[in-house]
Amino acid sequence: MLRNFAKKSVAVAALAGASVVASMSPALAEYPEKPITMVIPLGAGGSHDLNARVITSIIPTYLEQAMIVRLTPGAGGQKGTQEVANAPADGYTLLFTHNYIDQLQQHVENLPYDPLEDFVTVARVNYAPIAVTVRADSPYQTFEDLVEASKADPGGVQMAHSGNWGALFVPAAQMMQALDMSWNLVPYQGGGPALQALLSGDADVTMGFPSSLASHLEAGTVRILATAGPERIYDDVPTFAEVGVEGDVGFMHRVVLAPAGTPDDVLEMLGDAFAQLGEDTTFNRMMGRLGENIDIIGSDEYDAMRSDQSGAYEVLVQELTSQ
Amino acid sequence: MFELFTEGFAMAMRFDTMALMSIGLFSGMLVGSLPGFTTLMAMAILLPISFFLEPIVGIPFLLGIYKGGIFGGSVPAILISMPGTGAAVATSRDGYKLTQQGKSRKALDIALFSSVFGDTASDIFTILMMFPIAFLVMQFGPPELFAVLLMSLIIIAATSGANPLKSLIMMMLGLWLSFIGTDPLGGVERFTFGLFELKSGIPLLPMLIGVFALPEVANVIIRNEKSRKLAALVGERLTRAEFSRCLPTICRSTVIGTGIGIVPGLGQIVAAMMGYTAAKNASKHPETFGEGEIEGVAAAEAANNAVNGPTMVPLLTLGIPGDNVTAILLGAFVAQGLRPGPQLFEEQGATVFAILVAMVIANLLFLVIGYLSIPFFSKIVTIKTSILIPLVIMFAFAGTYVFRSDPTDLLILVAFGVFGIIAKAAKFDVMPMVMGFILGPSMEYAFGQTAAMSNGNPLGFFLTERFGALGVLIAAPIIGYLLWKRLYGRSANT
Repeated sequence: MLRNFAKKSVAVAALAGASVVASMSPALAEYPEKPITMVIPLGAGGSHDLNARVITSIIPTYLEQAMIVRLTPGAGGQKGTQEVANAPADGYTLLFTHNYIDQLQQHVENLPYDPLEDFVTVARVNYAPIAVTVRADSPYQTFEDLVEASKADPGGVQMAHSGNWGALFVPAAQMMQALDMSWNLVPYQGGGPALQALLSGDADVTMGFPSSLASHLEAGTVRILATAGPERIYDDVPTFAEVGVEGDVGFMHRVVLAPAGTPDDVLEMLGDAFAQLGEDTTFNRMMGRLGENIDIIGSDEYDAMRSDQSGAYEVLVQELTSQ
Repeated sequence: MFELFTEGFAMAMRFDTMALMSIGLFSGMLVGSLPGFTTLMAMAILLPISFFLEPIVGIPFLLGIYKGGIFGGSVPAILISMPGTGAAVATSRDGYKLTQQGKSRKALDIALFSSVFGDTASDIFTILMMFPIAFLVMQFGPPELFAVLLMSLIIIAATSGANPLKSLIMMMLGLWLSFIGTDPLGGVERFTFGLFELKSGIPLLPMLIGVFALPEVANVIIRNEKSRKLAALVGERLTRAEFSRCLPTICRSTVIGTGIGIVPGLGQIVAAMMGYTAAKNASKHPETFGEGEIEGVAAAEAANNAVNGPTMVPLLTLGIPGDNVTAILLGAFVAQGLRPGPQLFEEQGATVFAILVAMVIANLLFLVIGYLSIPFFSKIVTIKTSILIPLVIMFAFAGTYVFRSDPTDLLILVAFGVFGIIAKAAKFDVMPMVMGFILGPSMEYAFGQTAAMSNGNPLGFFLTERFGALGVLIAAPIIGYLLWKRLYGRSANT
């Protein structure tokens, strides 16, 4: 293990050294000739940060250049996003973000950039499906129980989420809309505190990603009522589609974007590197340990998904804010 | 349980664990002492290294960086009045005065001893009381957090000066400054005047460096103290008698810090301020606090380090990280196949105890590493003023810029520097402002959550459902008044 690590660090050091030399040579050399910066518009220690640390420690093998993480949190992700929007479209500044920052915020407020005009997809790295979660001693045995109670007492069910227009809030809002029910949405500073509120009894329901719920499921302290997506994650738990919530609801897509106007050959090279990354055994092992899946989707396919997301979020925001 | 503990103890006794932990401690201390670089950044960057190490080596390595970094932060606070984090603000108050009196080595020594003592005691307490603490943590929701934060602010305002009105004005200013930016709950822009730069609010670091370090620099320049160095002497090391004098304070602060560590969301800043206030209140000579009292440094440092033990509890027992540091540790645990949560102790008990034992050993190692490093750090102040002052200015600007590479931060730094100089001249203490600014957003958030939980009727909610929080809210002004009366009441009347 240690030896493996030593080998890797030698390789990284050699790459870093090579990159210094490369950056001094005339600019005609082939992309990438200097380290690539990946901006994360979120804070240190979150799931994007952890994912990025794994990505950047392995992708140099395929790009033959180092990739550096820069955290630029602030203004709900807009600060880092704007930084990349304003960066030169040369493939040396990328953005590692998720679909809610990317496509939802434009409908809530005025942004200093246009997500669909100013960015193109490099690759979607993976996604996390959300699960509707209650305490093990909750009276809601099934998703139907929860819906029934919510309809009987609008706003009486307390739902803990990770912040307005965030990864737990949006699926909850979409669910309320689809099923014509109403929860009292209480914000917490992240999914962890929201889960804690559920466990301590302050909240009746929350949502969570299977990777962070696994330990609680094993211990039998929580119960999952439904999971996102068309396929079942747990054998005995229905999917959103089965309980009447259709579409791209409840997925957080972790995605790498580049400023619009980035040359096609550069995008292609980056896309190839990410595709190869998806096949890398060390990458698979490390992401597996973090409890994350890997499902690389290429540029064209995800760009189409982005415009669909934009349309769906626009409708959602309009309906929620018009009330 | 006991068997697991002894097994864990044996597992932790490894040479490579000790070696990597020492490297972590030393590098953490270095990074922490550079303004603008945070322990959090160092941990995030070095996290992948731990993926390739065994759990009992990799996680203590990260813990070492963390623990070293907290002490590192107090080094510039003491030597050049430049607290890099909110947790070091209380330390800089007496620490920098000691440096000016030529006692920087004493100040660093007591900071080290108190940190190690506070940390060790709270770690041991945490290991023994893991599950009772886990139960207590669950008793605190947003209403309780709001009440405790409000009480902290009242106590800070009441005890930071003879004139509580001045303190309150500064605190209100700090609270207002914290409103600038995007409202944390609704996402509405406030006081940004349409400037995108202000949308994410005023960053803390330029404010801290601006109001604490720049006025001191200006002070030296204005008085043109060519002949006198900023502090000519390094001074002697701490004596045993001085340590014994501080011991009651250290113990008190350790208890306070541990208690505050149990409340999720409070953290080191509140602990340091409350430890400091309690020491001042208990002292027979409270007037020496703020004028270079080693007990003041001891109180703040013991308290902010004692927070560390209990903050591990929600991480280990629930798998819920309470702050960014524990979030990185969660990543490290998970990547090692140790999934923190209710099952962790059953499945991996011995390994977890080994890591906890390593935490305690890290403190003892750090005592040695820190003690040997202090002479080098304290030499900084013996540099000639004509070189030191430009260096301090460079650190102030470079540290501010490196934090997030935003040129706007430099303007904010200068603005707060000017403000700090004016406030100092007008005899307004900036401490309540900084505390209002730091704690304001958490308090606002907790209140917003309470309002949401109660469907818009927080008052009724406090009265009918949250008796603990209600009790704290009622007690807060009374405690604040009694503290003020004890500390300043007599001098104000005469």
